[in-house]
Amino acid sequence: MSSHRNKCSSNIAARIFDRQIRTPPPATTVHYARQFYENLVPSYTLYEVECPDHSFRKFTDDGQYLISFSRNFQDLIVYRPRWLSFSCKDEDCDKHDLPSKAKRFESFFTQLYSVPLASCNERICKDFFLYMEGNQFGLFATSTAQIHDAPAVGGAIQGVPSIEKITFILLRLEDGVILDDKVFCNDFVNLTHNMGVFLYDDLLAIVSLRYQIIHILQIRDSGNLVDVRAIGEFCREDDQLFLNSNAQGNAFSDKNKQHQLPGGHIEHNVHQGQPNPGNSFLSGIKQRLLSFIFQSIWNEERDDNLRIQTLRKKFYFHFQDYADLIIWKVQFLDRHHLLIKFGSVDGGVSRNADHHPAFVAVYNMDTTEIVSFYQNSADELYLLFEQFCDHFHATSRNSMHMNFISSHSNNVHALEQLRSIKDKASSSSQFVKKMLASLPFSCQSQSPSPYFDQSLFRFDDKLISATDRHRQSTDHPIKFILRRHPYSLKFKIKPGPEGGSMDGRAKNISSFIFHPILPLALSVQQTLFLHPSVVNIHFRR
Amino acid sequence: MISGGGGRSSSTSSTSSWAPTTWVSASGKRIQREMMELNNDPPRDCSAGPKGDNLYHWIATIIGTPGTPYQGGIFFLDIIFPTDYPFKPPQVIFKTRIYHCNVDPDGHVSMGILKDGWSPALTITKVLLAVRSILTNPDPYNAVVPGIAHLYLGDRAKHDDIAAECTVRFAK
Repeated sequence: MSSHRNKCSSNIAARIFDRQIRTPPPATTVHYARQFYENLVPSYTLYEVECPDHSFRKFTDDGQYLISFSRNFQDLIVYRPRWLSFSCKDEDCDKHDLPSKAKRFESFFTQLYSVPLASCNERICKDFFLYMEGNQFGLFATSTAQIHDAPAVGGAIQGVPSIEKITFILLRLEDGVILDDKVFCNDFVNLTHNMGVFLYDDLLAIVSLRYQIIHILQIRDSGNLVDVRAIGEFCREDDQLFLNSNAQGNAFSDKNKQHQLPGGHIEHNVHQGQPNPGNSFLSGIKQRLLSFIFQSIWNEERDDNLRIQTLRKKFYFHFQDYADLIIWKVQFLDRHHLLIKFGSVDGGVSRNADHHPAFVAVYNMDTTEIVSFYQNSADELYLLFEQFCDHFHATSRNSMHMNFISSHSNNVHALEQLRSIKDKASSSSQFVKKMLASLPFSCQSQSPSPYFDQSLFRFDDKLISATDRHRQSTDHPIKFILRRHPYSLKFKIKPGPEGGSMDGRAKNISSFIFHPILPLALSVQQTLFLHPSVVNIHFRR
Repeated sequence: MISGGGGRSSSTSSTSSWAPTTWVSASGKRIQREMMELNNDPPRDCSAGPKGDNLYHWIATIIGTPGTPYQGGIFFLDIIFPTDYPFKPPQVIFKTRIYHCNVDPDGHVSMGILKDGWSPALTITKVLLAVRSILTNPDPYNAVVPGIAHLYLGDRAKHDDIAAECTVRFAK
């Protein structure tokens, strides 16, 4: 194997020739094809490109669109990436610098349209965007201002902020036509980095933190958002109906009805069936959770006397803690199973939730059963996470390139890196907690760009990675080094002005937007002041 | 599973940590004695224990008896002891929704022994046994939900179907 590797040239012509005469081992065709990215890299940088003052969000995962928002976060502006083309009079034009006319944003991107999404008191949530590749639908969110000390009325959880109006907008990216929307009133959905929303195939899970409901919606091919079920107070979609239809015998408390508001927006359903203070029944999901915990302790111990002692210590003593858990975050594992993170109210809203106790449960929506339940420090869950990380990265069926995102379960270099962090960690349980804090994963938070493929390139993941985050930038360019022979520096990405930042004291925040297929990337550097951001275009000349 | 409960939860240390700091009332002593009794001789398919460190607020669990419409259900109940226990009966409230003629729409269990029929000689073990027995044999002649009682007497099969469906929906 190693002798072959030495023979295999990194010269692109030799590689193409090699491709003609050799068949790669079964199931590695794509991996072989991706090696060409070692030859085609975004090594040329256009610094401080003159460009519209927008907030650039990302390329869609199929590379068809560049999503951006106007600075006042009211309009969506969509661009189509184009490959740079220019004419040159001289014979050997490669040696010349680019003509100044070519060094513009417009030579790389064509504006398709601009549509207003938010009204005057609303803003587009700049960290939120989900893309449904099959239909080229985009999901956006707008919201009004957040109220921090909102009173907990109508079954809302105390301590969770409230937003008067959150609107999810489904838009056809091809022509910018708004297809449907779904409004949540006086509710709270965590929209930073898509945290509170997960898209899997055509299924959408939206977590109402304030009312503790997981709304499952379906995005129809027709462009409609359809309510499928709401998991929280009830588990099945017709539980409320069952209660109401059997209520003529006064079998069940009907206090909930008074929260029902007259028709109109679908969001009023949110307020229906909330647990109210007088009625102390456990919510559907809590009943499932508590009965799962109860049964696992019950079945663990065979002896009656020991069993009741164990239950008293491990279950009844902590009953209220379990009953007070709230749903923090949700992801799909497949079309039937949700991975749900439960924690205390404090941890659900705060940014750094690491030190709060948390639990994750696998819940089957169809059978309404909890399948498994772990504390966030459980070694067993960590082992699953280490070995089968890709199973947690549930990606929709028709997004093939998402299968090549490096993780420690599919990439030996990423695994090595994880192991070295593990060895350095002072406490094993702290390390496990820290690692498991990333579960459930956020939806579409990683760039499928091949330049983040750790089997191709090595880079400092503190400065740059596939994960879509703003990062503090340094004045040093970020190096991408070949993983294979000759292990050489292949290209550098440098955000900000060419000569370094003008003000050494200012802390600069950078974000990197890589095209999923082409050797093309944008780096956007912002100072914390209100200066316009510095946009560099990195591409292969 | 939640850390931080610590040693207070074990019966021996609970006794020792209670005794020196707080004056243990007669009712508290009685409840502790009943807890030991329950531990030593737990009734089948029932269990109970204090919620947190409050001796007067217990949580109980009754597993639905096979062969009844409540089969397969896990029913959680609040048991709240009055401060003058055992001279007054405890309150027993279902925290899990149940379709039963002796349980009111808010989950309160209505039974003779929890009202006028209460006697200080009764214990929590006996209360749990009594609740479990009304799940097997409801008492439609002393019902708090007349609709369910009528159905139970008039159309037992339909009553059992609804009760079973309710168990599947809300008590799993």
